[in-house]
Amino acid sequence: MPQIKDVLLGCTGIALCLLAWEIAGRALGPALLAPPSLVAVDYVGLLRQGDMLRELGFSLRQMAIGFVLACLVGMPLGVVMGRSSLADAIFRPWVSMFVVTSTAALIPLLIMVLGTGLLLRVTIVFLACVWYIALTAYNGARGVSPQQITAARSFSASRFQIFWKIMLPALYPYLLTGARIGLVHAIRAMVMAEMFVIIGYGGLVHRAGLLVETGPLLGLLLTLMIVSLLLNWLLRDAGRRLAPWYEQQRVTL
Amino acid sequence: MRPNIPRSVAPVAGGAVAADGTWTAAERPGAIAGRLLAHNRVVSALSIVVGLAIWQIAAGQVSDFILPAPLAVFERFADPTWLARLLRALSNSLTQLSLGFALSFCTAVPLGIVIGRSTVLTRMFEPVINALYAIPPVAFVPFLIIWFGLFLEARVALVFLMSFFDILVVVIAGARDVRRPLIDVGQSFGASHVQRLRLIVLPALLPFLFAALRVGSARAINGMITAELFFAAVNLGALMKRASQNFDSAAVLSVVVLVCLLGLAAQSLINMLESHFLRWHVRT
Repeated sequence: MPQIKDVLLGCTGIALCLLAWEIAGRALGPALLAPPSLVAVDYVGLLRQGDMLRELGFSLRQMAIGFVLACLVGMPLGVVMGRSSLADAIFRPWVSMFVVTSTAALIPLLIMVLGTGLLLRVTIVFLACVWYIALTAYNGARGVSPQQITAARSFSASRFQIFWKIMLPALYPYLLTGARIGLVHAIRAMVMAEMFVIIGYGGLVHRAGLLVETGPLLGLLLTLMIVSLLLNWLLRDAGRRLAPWYEQQRVTL
Repeated sequence: MRPNIPRSVAPVAGGAVAADGTWTAAERPGAIAGRLLAHNRVVSALSIVVGLAIWQIAAGQVSDFILPAPLAVFERFADPTWLARLLRALSNSLTQLSLGFALSFCTAVPLGIVIGRSTVLTRMFEPVINALYAIPPVAFVPFLIIWFGLFLEARVALVFLMSFFDILVVVIAGARDVRRPLIDVGQSFGASHVQRLRLIVLPALLPFLFAALRVGSARAINGMITAELFFAAVNLGALMKRASQNFDSAAVLSVVVLVCLLGLAAQSLINMLESHFLRWHVRT
């Protein structure tokens, strides 16, 4: 019963915001802010034209390369840092330095080093999300219960067994949360890099900004929002399916 | 944490309070961390030195245009004319940073408290906030150009946009976290609405406000440099663009280092303020 009420309240909130947007859009005119009714029409046009979805697929494939690489590097890095104080001391200054460095500031430098091709975009996505993934894994690895490890050790579990049977299950929700946080940053970095060198989906957004009407631009933003929410939901759903017993466990960073 | 208790007494005292589990858990890792800290600082410093040395050697193998050596960047900072230009650009950049950040903090905090304190409002606006948060702020750049042009107003707007939702989300979480019994006690002692807000909700919210400051300032600094690169290139962004057109990669990197140092300085300043004002709060 409370779920239905929540959904209804959520829908009311969305409806209220759409209404406010519609009124503001009608008042300001489509050159400044296209109302949702107009955006919907433009959106159908964008879908028919086919450019949007094609560029989106192109951009997402490139983002996926950077994101997967970041997971492959960031997760083990974070776990090692969390479990070994030596590794923590070695990598911590670098990680905390890179995590505050804004990716946008690195773009001009990276363009000089890597050019404006695929390598640049993959590197930017990688650099934007790897530190967040590592830090979340680090928090998880530090939180593994020492009692459980001691208990396993006193039952003469090998190091591999301790890692496989205790560490990994305890880390699992953190790795997943890290991946979700990383994904948000990966999408942001993807759009930023593409808008800078004007290619792919970001290039499309840039070109839509040059039009007189704001309808197509808002439509493109709408698609980005849907993609971001969908990917996030997919990751969470995959997590639930793989390990339903972590449903209750909430990880916050 | 009470550092004035001698180590030999600590386990006994810890054992005594162990029943509610608040003391031993906080004290033991703290003590170990304290001992390791001295040793770890040396390793961290070594790690930076070794890393920079490897970078210097690697940079020697390739062209200066491509990978600037750390020493070349240091030379840049030592060059008084370049340093003066850097600092002047930075002080100009700080205008939009402080304006945008102040604006987003002053709007996001009250809004977050109002939404977070009411279950109905939280349920109503959570989906909308999540949806807006999911849009990369840089994608709003063409939109901001239409509304605010290419100069200061647009830069302030981007800084605002990039930090607003991050602050809002943290404040909402904080406002929801205030423990119900505390408010009930206040109510039963006849505290008015304003008194409950000032004496119970706001103090409980303080740790979250510092978290919001930490997240928000990092995002705002990010927004500051992003704005200077994506709108009309001015200040630090202009220095960067001009240097990269001249293939002066050491100069470009010196700007990146400056922005990074600004971020680190902001983080440690906020941490210092937090440990000063929030001595009662143990960060977990």
